[in-house]
Order: sequence, then C-alpha cells, then structure tokens
Amino acid sequence: MKISVRVFFVATREKLCYNKNGDVSMKYSDIRIITANAADVVINRNELALRLKTDRNYESELLDKCRKQFDSAVQYRCAYVRIAVDLSEENVCRFDFAEIASKNLYRNLQGCREAFVIAVTTGLEVDRLLKKLNILSQAEHFVTDGLSSAAVESFCDMVSSRLKTGLSCANRFSPGYGDVNLTVQKPLLDRLCAAETLGITLNTAYLMTPVKSITAIMGIKT
Amino acid sequence: MKNIRDLIKEKRVYFDGGTGTVLQKKGLNPGESPELWNITQPHKIVTLHKAYLKAGCNIIKTNTFGVNRTKFLNYAELIQKGIACAKKAIAETEDNAEKYIAFDMGPTGKLLEPLGDLSFEEAVSIFADNVKAATESGADLILIETMNDSYETKAAVLAAKENSNLPIFVTNVYDGNGKLMTGANPVAMIAMLESLGVDALGMNCSLGPDKMLDIIDEFAKYSSTPIIVNPNAGLPEVINGETVFNVGAEEFSDYMVQLAERGASILGGCCGTTPEFIQKTVAKTKDMPYSCPTWKNITMVSSYTHAVVIEKDPVLIGERINPTGKPKLKEALRTGDLNYVLNEAVRQADKNVHILDVNVGLPEIDETDMMKKCIAGIQSITDLPLQIDSTKFETLEQAMRMYNGKPLVNSVNGTEESMKNVLPLVQKYGGGLIALTIDEKGIPDNASDRAKIAEKIVSRAAEYGISKREIIVDPLALTISSNPESAVVTLESIRMIRALGVKTSLGISNISFGLPQRNLVTSTFYANALQNGLNCAIMNPFAEEMMNVYYAYRALNCLDTGCVDYINYASAVQGTAKTESKTEETLHVCIVKGLKEGAVRQTKRLLENIPPLDVINEHIVPALNEIGTAFEQKKAYLPQLLMSAETASLSFEEVKKKIPTDQTDTSKAIVLATVKGDIHDIGKNIVKVLMESYGFTVYDLGRDVPPEKIVACALENNCKLVGLSALMTTTVPSMAETIKMLNETDRSIKTMVGGAVLNQEYADMIGADFYGADAMDSVRYAEKFYAD
Repeated sequence: MKISVRVFFVATREKLCYNKNGDVSMKYSDIRIITANAADVVINRNELALRLKTDRNYESELLDKCRKQFDSAVQYRCAYVRIAVDLSEENVCRFDFAEIASKNLYRNLQGCREAFVIAVTTGLEVDRLLKKLNILSQAEHFVTDGLSSAAVESFCDMVSSRLKTGLSCANRFSPGYGDVNLTVQKPLLDRLCAAETLGITLNTAYLMTPVKSITAIMGIKT
Repeated sequence: MKNIRDLIKEKRVYFDGGTGTVLQKKGLNPGESPELWNITQPHKIVTLHKAYLKAGCNIIKTNTFGVNRTKFLNYAELIQKGIACAKKAIAETEDNAEKYIAFDMGPTGKLLEPLGDLSFEEAVSIFADNVKAATESGADLILIETMNDSYETKAAVLAAKENSNLPIFVTNVYDGNGKLMTGANPVAMIAMLESLGVDALGMNCSLGPDKMLDIIDEFAKYSSTPIIVNPNAGLPEVINGETVFNVGAEEFSDYMVQLAERGASILGGCCGTTPEFIQKTVAKTKDMPYSCPTWKNITMVSSYTHAVVIEKDPVLIGERINPTGKPKLKEALRTGDLNYVLNEAVRQADKNVHILDVNVGLPEIDETDMMKKCIAGIQSITDLPLQIDSTKFETLEQAMRMYNGKPLVNSVNGTEESMKNVLPLVQKYGGGLIALTIDEKGIPDNASDRAKIAEKIVSRAAEYGISKREIIVDPLALTISSNPESAVVTLESIRMIRALGVKTSLGISNISFGLPQRNLVTSTFYANALQNGLNCAIMNPFAEEMMNVYYAYRALNCLDTGCVDYINYASAVQGTAKTESKTEETLHVCIVKGLKEGAVRQTKRLLENIPPLDVINEHIVPALNEIGTAFEQKKAYLPQLLMSAETASLSFEEVKKKIPTDQTDTSKAIVLATVKGDIHDIGKNIVKVLMESYGFTVYDLGRDVPPEKIVACALENNCKLVGLSALMTTTVPSMAETIKMLNETDRSIKTMVGGAVLNQEYADMIGADFYGADAMDSVRYAEKFYAD
C-alpha cells in the first residue's frame, strides 16, 4: 500500500477557520493529510454489494466501465488530527473544537482521553462525474453512485485501521449518528480546515460537498 | 503619487509577506480572527505593516482577508479600520514614496453552484459590499487573493469592476498538480482574467516558491499582464509544538530570484514569510533588469478547467445545439427538456470537438432564461468552452455574465446597432468575439468589401479596449446552390481577413444547403478553407466526412505528431464498421443483455419489415418482461435491469420515429416526483427509466417538489397516475400532504409511493393507493392501472 502522509499546514488557516463569534480557539498546525491513488484503495466487496443490491461476486461490463470512469475521477484525501477529549461531565464530550452533548457519543468514547478527528473525501471530480451520469445513464449513475459510496467507506476504513495500528480504539462515530446532530459538521470541518485541506464545504443543510465525504470521531482508549 | 497601473509596467514592485502567521507570534490566539485586531489592537497591525515597509515592500495587504458580511456583521468597520492601519503605517514611514494599500479580499468559504449552494449573484453581492467599503475607505487597489475556484474569482472581479475604478490584482492558489481546487489550470485563469481586464494576475499561498517554479513558465508564456508571485515559506513542519516553515529567508529569496528571471513581475510572500523574507527578496532582485510581460497575440477562450488556444491547429465548434432545422431540439426547448440538450452536449464532446455552440433561440420561449439554464447545465457536465450564440443582446449579456470562464461570443456584425450593443458587453465581461461580415447593406458579394467590414469592426472594438486578438471574423459562407461564386468569394475573404491579422471562423454547413449528398460538398469546402488558413469551423461533428478532413488535414500539416490522433481516429472508425457486420444478434438478446448499439441496429432492421407496434409488442415488451421476471426472481440484479431498460428506451425512440405523431399513444402516462424537502432522486430516476422503457410518458418533476406543483402537473396533463418517492423519514409528512392535496383535488388520481423509509403499513397510513417495494413492482402496478 503506497500512501503518503505529510504534515499540511494551511497557510490561510487562521483566516478561514474562525466563525462569526471567533470562538474556535485552537492550533491548527497539527493537521495531517493522507492521500491515496485509486489503485491503493481496495473497495470492500460487501460494501459494494450492499449498495448495488447484488451479491458480493457481482461483475459486469457495466461495473467495469463505471469503475474505470470512477478511478480516473477519484482523488482520495483525508485530513485528521489527534486531540484530547474531556468526558468529565456526564453525556458531554468536550473537544478543542466543540462541546458535544450526546449520550451515544459519550458511551462510544468511554475509556478514551484522546480521539482522532477524521474527514475523508473522494474529491470534486466524482461529483462532476455523478452529475454527468445522472443525465446520461441511470444505470451508470446508479452503479457509480454505489461504487463511490463504497469507495469512500473503504478509504475511511483503510485510514482508520492505519491510525489504529498499535492503539486500542473505539468504533468510528460520525455526526448524524444517534443523537449527534449534523450541525457538528461545521466546527469539525473547520478544525480540519477542510475547505482548504480537502475542498470540503458545507451547504446550508449541513450536507457536504463533495458528496462522497465522511467525517468521523474515533476515540483512543487509554 | 504614480498610479500603480503605470508603475508595474515600469519597474518591479513588491508585496509584503504573511500576516496571520506573524500576528500569531505577536500573541494572536490561533483561531482568533486576526481581522478583529484592526479594532482591538490596531497598533500591532500598524507595527507589522511598518516592518514590511521598512523591508522594502511597495504594497501592503490590509488585514481584511476573511472579512465579509456572511462572517462579520461589522464587516464595513473592519475594512475601514484595516485600511486606516495601513494608512497610518505609511504616514509614519519616512521614505514613503510609491507605497500602496491593497484591500485584501479572500474567498467566501462557500462553494458556488452547481457543485455548492452559493449562487453566483449572491457571491457577487457579498464581494460588492466589501469593495464599496474598501473604496470609500481609500484603498489604492483591490487584491483578490487565495482564490481556489475560477467561478468565485470571476464573481469577485465583477464585483470589483462594478463598484470601483481601482486597479484589480488577482492571485489564485494552485495545488501540486498546477490546478485550482475546482480544476482550472493557469492558462484558463489567464484567459479569463485578462479578458475581464484585471491589472495584474498570478499565484499565492500553496506550497512554496519551489512549487511555483513548476508553473511560472506557463504564466510567462501566456500572460500579457504583470505576474504576481506571493508564495508561502515552503511546507510547514511542527517542531516542539510550534509551526516552522521549511524554507528559510535565504533560500526563499534565492527562489524568488529564479522566479523573477523566469518572468515574475511583482514579488512578495504569503503565509510563513516575514519582513526578513521580503527584505532579502528585495535586496537580491531590485537590481535585476525588469521587463513587464510582452503583449502576446494569442487568441484564447476558456472553461473552468482549461483554455482553447486558437492558432494554427484547427478548432472544431460543435453546431448541434441550435434549433434551426432540428425539430427534436425545438420540441425539447419548448417543453424545457434540458436533458436532451445536455445529451447533445456530451455526445459532441465525445467526438472531441473543442468548443460547443449554444443557441436556444425560439420565438415562443424565454430565450434568456433557457440560455442561462442550458449554460449552467452544460457547464456542470462537460468542461468544454462554450460559444454563446444569440441575436438578443439581453440574452448575450446575461449568459456572458454567468458563464464560468471566457466564452466565445456569437456574434457582432458590422451594423451600428450590433456594434454599439455587443462591444460594451465584451469590454465588461470578456470573451472571444465572432464578427460577421455583414452590415446595413447586407453581405457584400466580394471579398474586399467583406474585409472592409472586418476592418471596421476591429477598429470599433479597439475603441472599447478590445484587442484584435479577441476577434474572429466569419466571412459568411452562403450556399453555392443559389450563389455559384460563394465558395470562391468566401475563400478569398478568408485570405484577405487573415492578412488583417485576425483569426477566422466559418459556419461550414451552409455552403451545401439545397444540394444532394451535402456532406460531400461541405467536407471538400472545409478542406479548401483549411488550406486557405481557416481557424475555426462551426460544424456537425457527427458528419464523418468532416471529421475525416479534420484528422487528415492535421496529419498532413505537421499538426499531429506521429499521426497519433489520426491513427486513433482511423482505428475507431474501422472498429465501428466491424461491429456493424455482426448479424447473429437479435433485438431480444440486445435488450436482455443491455447492448445499446445493437438494439438500435436491430430495431431499425425490424422496422423495415414489420409494423412499429409489432416491434413493441412482440420484441421489446417480451424482452423487458424476461429481464423483469429474472429480477423479481433474484436471478438478475438492479444494474442489469437498468441497462436493459435504457436499451429498450433507445429502441422505443426508434420505433416512435415510425409512428405518425397523431397516432402516438400518450394515454399511458405518469407524473413522478421526489417530495418536498427530499433531495434524493436515485430511486425516482430508476422508476422513470423503467417506466419509459415500457413506453410510458413520464412527467418527471425532479426532486424537492412542492405538493401544489405535483397537483398542477397532474391536472395540466390530465394524468391520473402519480408516483412519489421519499428517502428520508423527515420527508414522509410532505408525501402525506401531497397525497392529501391530490385526493382533495381529484379522487380519480391514483398515487403510488416508494422509497427506502416506506413500507406497506406506512403507505396505508398516509393514504397511498399503492406501495411499490421496488421499481419492477411499480411498473407492474402502472401497467395494471392502465389495463383495467
């Protein structure tokens, strides 16, 4: 597996990453970037089968064609930080970027003092490809949509297992699960300078562009 | 004080360096907005500016990068105070000749449509508020910086042009691949920015001066405008918890010398750079000979990713999106069927044309509105530059404004009316311009008079500051069937017009109008025109003869190294010929296997021998039923079903052509929509494809559709079957509301519902007439509904 990791400092980070209240008060210089090529990410067959509603051995010319188009569009990128989490108050998870009141996340993070905060994406070109296929062919659109969902999941799994190496970690937890509201996306993405590092922006409904993107918190058990 | 526009033409000027990174060392809490210091700690901002002035910079970037009305309610005050800090710093500096204040304007932090949800006009308006505040506060120039999207850059430049007369400098952020985040390369940006008339352009931020060396040559080759280079101090590393950049002042300034040698005009720094970096850069470069970029006589148009350079290599402009003589396109435009238009765009792009002409002029539609929809749609599915083609000035203006890139504008002509209306548009929005050699007296019958009209347009354009290089003259080929000398005169016109030093274009197809075997005449004329120096051809890329001429001409004229393109083209042509000879395929097999080309071929063959309705009932429907049953029995999967459905739809299209319109069966129809609040349309689209393959007329209202719109559509088309889809639990109430409204309006309308969150119980609860567990289920119900 050839994936490269480097420290990425977003030059304009302090310019871009505050909000109206200026209350994001963190150092951003700890953001790490992971990139990967299409060939480096093995798309999980079960995940793909689930999306395409096929069995896990499904192969076809259509799938091959879609895979080729997807591979030339995809640009896997991940940004993550490793930060402290404070669980001293029941059902409140305090991070440097946000204070999240949630029973589910609190339970998920039991026994953790630190956490990885992760965002991954397949890049804007995949959005463009999906838009185009939605016009041209529903068959190709359906398959490529499933393929890219499975791909971003697989890439996120790959990144997580890499980060987990030598550590004991909680299960990945994403905003929108259980009682964690999607609005957490905003400070979380700001913390990762995601607009600059990954090109991820939020629309007014807190949905991400590029559409095939995942954010997650993964507790580190001590 | 000398206007900075003049100064940058005469000598090298310098920007300052980083702001945020320096302020952090002065105690700015990371995450705290540096701009707030304009109010809370202005003396520290003044001190920073003074340090840069002392280091030898000429232009100070105000501490306003992130300020705009979406982030700060007091944006105007922050801007005014920021500029005041810069003024104070200059006033307190002893040697303050040739010092300027650049109002620093960064991106909004939102992504523009179509990928994001910020509209272009909203972006223009946000920037406009900034520009107004900065102009009132006394900035000397507007610096639009760290832009990573060409569309947002255009919005900012337009806002600056419309709200001030200050010089406009623009720098973009290129990544390791030499592209902006949304895909534009430097040449695309140069094409767009120069045509918008900016005073200086270039790059900033990104990774460091070493990386900028990789793309400076592109700038030097294509830009006629002073080039700004404001790099970071390299890549940051974290050492003992502190951020340290990996390029020091000494190394940085050495790189800046190299950048200057290779064409960079205005030098400065971005994040991580300090007054020391600037001081060393000034010291090492101030005595180097300076020359402003020379004028490049390069004709370019661009999209949001790349530019098309119009020179020796012939340029193909796809003509298919033009309703003249195309009944299907006319129908699509009348019914607002954008998909048809978009399909035509992609099909032409697949033929490797370079530019697409877009003409949607029909008397009975709102041309401006349709043009804008088409441009937005086409630009979201293909990255070819577009030729905006309209006779209406209002349509041209609106389209040029919202186009992402530098368009080709079709057209201006030699009449006073046309010149006085079109030229100001090109002056404002930028664009290559097709100029027709026709005036109040019509089209001259001889070449020298056509050339005279071209000359007139060129000189009038110059009065508007539009260079000759932007003008592409079309001497108008008329058909030889009624004008025997037309070809001869047109070719002579091309030669004469070329001698004026402008590029040429022709609508090639006209030449053969009214003759049999038109492609023969058209392609021969095209070869002749190319030989006479024609640059652009507006043509039909599906005419094989035309493409033959194009590829052969390039191979013959040293424009296709190693004949690579020709060989690829020729082998593709050969490949198609081979498959056509295959005879064992049947329509049934083609549909079941999803072989689209084969299905069209076989349908055509069947139609030669049997009536259209028999093709449907004896071939298409049984094949669809076979795959549908296999799907229901879990022997085939959804992707296969979809492929078969799409194939059957193509087959249907062929059959429909043979059925007289008055006999077309429109009784089987359905209204489909994803309900209000829901933006997921995959499920609905799958049902649509299947319905169409079974011959249903589908009124597809899209996603996030309000109930009243659904009701209106059903009534208007007298359609008694409505299919609704919802994918989120939160939007089921909106489905219930739609059903209620439909029932209240007309109880004979039946509703069928589907979607991931629904089941039979839920469907019953909200009063739906039918719940479809999958797409096949829905088709079976719809078939039954119309059979009963």
